[in-house]
Amino acid sequence: MPPEYYQCLEELQAIDFVLVELNLYLNTHPTDLEAIKQFNETAQKSMQLKHNFEQQFGPLMHFGRSYSSYPWDWDDTPWPWQV
Amino acid sequence: MSDATIGKEDYMHSQFKYWKPYVSPFDPCKPILVKSYSTPPHLYMNFQPIGLAQFQSPIQALKHGTLWPQLYSPYPDPHKGVKPK
Repeated sequence: MPPEYYQCLEELQAIDFVLVELNLYLNTHPTDLEAIKQFNETAQKSMQLKHNFEQQFGPLMHFGRSYSSYPWDWDDTPWPWQV
Repeated sequence: MSDATIGKEDYMHSQFKYWKPYVSPFDPCKPILVKSYSTPPHLYMNFQPIGLAQFQSPIQALKHGTLWPQLYSPYPDPHKGVKPK
């Protein structure tokens, strides 16, 4: 896989980590408006990154949560444990 | 024969606590003179205040395992087994 593949994945991993942190934080701070704004912006960023990634490298999720190109590309390598 | 704790001022500002265990003259191994344990930074924070400073980039946060530098712990102790000061 090209180096961009790993760059995109790392970026996505980092953004999703920020979402986990904010999610846990907001569970105990439900009225922190700034954090909620940041959470929503980060969620949108994450969706964009996922969308871009899937355009380039194929589906991240299955069972109808991502699109497929032709031919069916869910079973293309690398598989998660090969990354 | 009580275990000596190292002077308060030495460790109050560190996440790591040190103590000197009793060393038996019959210890078959080389004794560890100073032992340490790590405490998590949120112990000293009470309820997390709103608007803490965050790491500059998501990647940085990911590498540190937290979004907030004040909650970062460099576990395990980088000076493990070494006497502080």
